[in-house]
Amino acid sequence: MVKARPAPLQHTERLLSLVPFISANQGISLKDLAATFNVSESQMSADLTTLWMCGLPGYTALELMDLSFESGFVSIRNAQTLENPRTLNFDEIVALLMGLDLLKESLDADSNLHEKIEVLTSRLSQKSGIVSRLRATSDVSSSLRAQIESALRSQSSLDISYHSLYNDSVSERLVSPLEVRIENGTEYLVAFCHNAGAFRIFRLDRILKCVVKEKAHIPKQESNSNNGQSLEFTIRVNSRLRLMKERFAIPHISTSDEYQSLSFSQQWIIRSVFGSSGSVQLIEPANLRAQIAQKAQLILDRYLAN
Amino acid sequence: MSRKSERLVNLTIALLATKRYLTKDEIFRSIEGYEGSIESKERMFERDKDDLRSIGIEIEVGGLDPLFNDEAGYRIKPENYKLDLGVISGTDIALLSLAAQAWNGAALGTAANSALVKLKSMGIDSDLDSIPTLAPRMAWSSQELETVLEAIAKGRKIVFVYISSELNNETREVFPYAVATREGHWYFSGLDCSKNEVRTFRFDRVNGEVSLTGKENSFQVPHGFDLLEVLETDAEHGLAVLDIRKNKALMLRKNASLVADLGEWERFKIEYTDSNSFIDSILWHLDDVVVLEPTELRLAIIQTLRDLVVSHG
Repeated sequence: MVKARPAPLQHTERLLSLVPFISANQGISLKDLAATFNVSESQMSADLTTLWMCGLPGYTALELMDLSFESGFVSIRNAQTLENPRTLNFDEIVALLMGLDLLKESLDADSNLHEKIEVLTSRLSQKSGIVSRLRATSDVSSSLRAQIESALRSQSSLDISYHSLYNDSVSERLVSPLEVRIENGTEYLVAFCHNAGAFRIFRLDRILKCVVKEKAHIPKQESNSNNGQSLEFTIRVNSRLRLMKERFAIPHISTSDEYQSLSFSQQWIIRSVFGSSGSVQLIEPANLRAQIAQKAQLILDRYLAN
Repeated sequence: MSRKSERLVNLTIALLATKRYLTKDEIFRSIEGYEGSIESKERMFERDKDDLRSIGIEIEVGGLDPLFNDEAGYRIKPENYKLDLGVISGTDIALLSLAAQAWNGAALGTAANSALVKLKSMGIDSDLDSIPTLAPRMAWSSQELETVLEAIAKGRKIVFVYISSELNNETREVFPYAVATREGHWYFSGLDCSKNEVRTFRFDRVNGEVSLTGKENSFQVPHGFDLLEVLETDAEHGLAVLDIRKNKALMLRKNASLVADLGEWERFKIEYTDSNSFIDSILWHLDDVVVLEPTELRLAIIQTLRDLVVSHG
């Protein structure tokens, strides 16, 4: 388990991992090496100096590992004993197993990689000693990822079909992607939207289609020109407290209290109240409250008519 | 600190390189760093053995020759030390590397990164052709995941406070079977000891820490147990008939099959699992969706709409 080991042991593990890594990547720069192991360059220099003193009993030039790193590029010789990477530990195997499952879920059904993933999964499962399946799913297809990846790498633009949940409509947009970002468990594409003339974020799982296009010019502009003023609203929660707490992001909640919150969309407020099936009541603003009552009556009339 | 790690590295090298078992005496004489009285050397060596074991390096004891009444010797078998994934191709390395990258910053990020370093140390070039190189990503980080995984691996019971659907704190004792993630949420399931039933829990609904309790190997995980499959088969199932306005309610259409085209509207059949959340998503779509069947679903929606009219009037 990686429950924060004592420093000397972390250090030992790093030293043992360094030898095979340098052996397989001779001539790597000190900077890249430090980045790979997540330590500062001076710590990495200290590590290499320590390793330089290590070797087979005897500890003469014949037995010591032969490290060179003064030029800023690192290579190693005479390190046969340690040059194989160490076997995977439990946490590493679990991380790989779940990562593979996530990868599998995101691949297209006809991909020829499924079989390879199965083989790797069963080999690793045997090593882990966990007999249940560790699952991870993704609702973003790999072909979509491949398109986004390709656009990010070549700095091209993308034609996307995007489903907006608040308006419940699909729009076609030309965007120039900047990055893929994760927030609260959801993946987003941050991009300049040429239709809106501003930077926007798009949930990956709501991008229905995308096609790589030639690079489109992003106009210079003042940022924060967005017109999304937020709207204050007040609700009262009647039931299903846990769900409502999560949906409306209320930190401390109890029944019959009133809660204030902000939203950038009237549509979102109205739909969220409907979509809570009576578990919340909108107190303010009064005009939205009236719209809800009116809309509910309209839908009700339709049900009662047939 | 570097003296200690230096000694541990030297001990590892010596015990790996030797073809026969080394006695303590040989170890103390030949490996740098063992100093002081024989007792303090002994203590040092015992601690070093435990330390190496704690980072996953097993030292074998052996070489006791009954004829000579030898003392015990020590070595590390290369086949236990070395990473061995069987016959492995560049494509396999690429897949495993992507799998590790999925954890970037998430719960098992540190373990995933060290796995990645090991993969890159194998001297096999990663073959990225035909593989999408933007890895899907895990999006969560928590110590609790590691605790639950440890409990599964060691067969130990866990105790935690769980937030019920009405926000009450309930203490649960569970023999955990598996973990999974779906649509951004992380779950674990196992045998709930007081209910004697398999239950599934969401990590973010655990209040405070998950703690390990009881002895190791106190239960057995059912072979092949799949949390996501259980989630799906456990849920209630119903079949509904809905009218959806054209080009609307895409979220509902995803799992629906078209029955008839009615001009402005289309009729769909749709399977649902949890009726409460199904009603939530129907009402979210306001006047773009009308439920025709089943009757109890229709009645529940009519009642909810009446309540909404009254409470917002």
